[in-house]
Amino acid sequence: MADSRKRQSSILEIDGLNHYFGERQVLFDIGLQIQEGTRHAIIGPNGAGKTTLFNTITGKFKPTGGAVLFKGKEVTGFKPDKLSRRGLGRSFQINSTFANLTTFQNLRMAILAKENIRFNFFRNLDKMHRITAETDAFLTRVGLMAERNQPANLLSYGKHRCLELSLAMAIDPDLVLLDEPAAGMSREETHQMVKLIRDLTRDKTVVIIEHDMDVVFSLADRITVLHHGEILATGSPEEIRTNQAVKSAYLGETEVGDVA
Amino acid sequence: MKRNMRGWLIWIPMIGALAIAPQVLGAFEITIVLGMAIFALFSISLNLLLSFAGLLSFGHAMFFAAGAYGTVFALEYIQGVPLLPAVLIGALSAAFLALALSPLLVRASGHTFAMLTMAFSQIMYAIVMKYSTITGGNDGISGFPIPALGIPGIGDIDMTMERNFYYAAITILGISAWVMWFFTRTPFGSIMISMRDNPERVAYLGFNVSISKAVVLVVSAWFAGVAGSVYALFQNMVSVDGVLGPMSSFTPLINCFIGGLGTFIGPVFGTGIGTMLTELMSAHPEQAQLVFSFVLILLVLFLPGGVMTLYWKVAAKWMVLQNRIQSAFLKGNHG
Repeated sequence: MADSRKRQSSILEIDGLNHYFGERQVLFDIGLQIQEGTRHAIIGPNGAGKTTLFNTITGKFKPTGGAVLFKGKEVTGFKPDKLSRRGLGRSFQINSTFANLTTFQNLRMAILAKENIRFNFFRNLDKMHRITAETDAFLTRVGLMAERNQPANLLSYGKHRCLELSLAMAIDPDLVLLDEPAAGMSREETHQMVKLIRDLTRDKTVVIIEHDMDVVFSLADRITVLHHGEILATGSPEEIRTNQAVKSAYLGETEVGDVA
Repeated sequence: MKRNMRGWLIWIPMIGALAIAPQVLGAFEITIVLGMAIFALFSISLNLLLSFAGLLSFGHAMFFAAGAYGTVFALEYIQGVPLLPAVLIGALSAAFLALALSPLLVRASGHTFAMLTMAFSQIMYAIVMKYSTITGGNDGISGFPIPALGIPGIGDIDMTMERNFYYAAITILGISAWVMWFFTRTPFGSIMISMRDNPERVAYLGFNVSISKAVVLVVSAWFAGVAGSVYALFQNMVSVDGVLGPMSSFTPLINCFIGGLGTFIGPVFGTGIGTMLTELMSAHPEQAQLVFSFVLILLVLFLPGGVMTLYWKVAAKWMVLQNRIQSAFLKGNHG
């Protein structure tokens, strides 16, 4: 099933990526190829540099060295908005929504971005019914319709997490980087989240950072293990599960995915 | 629907009052009302940055001043310039100033933005003082001609007549305020409001935050410029301390705080209250600041959201009362 999803070309290529925070090197010579249409998980203990890797790919930080190629074109150090317009989206580990706006208004921003409505000064947004309908359709799809008119900062944690993911997915990116979408969720909520990710990322390429091995092994076609800013191994879930280096470095002697 | 109705409950009496004011008030009161309206527009333009884009400006007077000087220079140096183009030149001057400063200003936010705007406004003060042969410096420029307002089909309306000027000025200010209100409702307006909450996410959604900020700055400056332009016409004078003095940037800011941040109409009420206080204290200007500070302290202590919170509180109480009356009525019907 995983193989049928794969196509040959790689949508994202990372080559010799290094990053420093001041004197301290946090990413060492990262090389990665993300195949189009796959779900690729990045795992590793806290402080391994996973979020920093996302930040350097998406232009929050300009990497100290190395290259990022998106859809075959060099995009190293491009700003987030430019990358987003080219089809690279991301979600955040810590909810990063518009706290004082309602769920509807939050999501409508993403729909506006998707519809490429930016410098429009002449229409009343509330009367743009196509945008409203599209936003409502998305809210229904992700199960946030009951919370439509609640300010984002009053949402329950699980719902807020769902909105966070929705903001990233509603702009309809070709490649999306999800930073621990199920962080801090209960078993039941995690289960729901995995279902939602499956639904929303159909036909898309996904790179996902996750600590929850249930999520990783149920979603990922390929897994990369990051340790102290270096790639320890990249392979299929089965390869990673049995990889000796990963076992000793990352999980002591317990087998990765035992919890699954 | 109900929301719309409540909006009109504020607007209709206000428009009506402004329309009949010259019929019922004396000449002196009219100048107060007009002054209030000018500073209300100035405060709204500042509030557009503050409440909607989340940018605190300590130097908004520079745009007000640019509008005032722009219009005055147009009237002084362009032979026979009509009224509306003169106002337009004022607004354009302010907008161009904002555009010229935007490459620096869009990089800043929070305190840095506040300090940067204050610095630029101080620089402008120094420049105006330095070139006092052109700007009049402390003495200012006064007595420039106020052209008639030419309306096609009606003819020229004499703007030196106070009542005529009042209606023209109120119309310009009113339309400007409405345009700014509409601006907050447009798709771009929602980008502006989102930037206040979370600029990083706005960028990750694919919107260019720097350019968007620059656009908001230019729009806000444009309308501050309109206010400044009308102010210069109204006073028939412009001077550095009148439009760029230390309080020129802070008075509208205080008005915004009195009125209540986060609402569009708040600064209008704030300006009303602020102007009233100033007028009441005009016989004792030395104590005026003292009373003003005292009122501000009371406000911070008891109405930290500004007087608009009072309105919402009353509105909420009214709704509760309405529901109670309704349910009592229904019960009565049952019995």
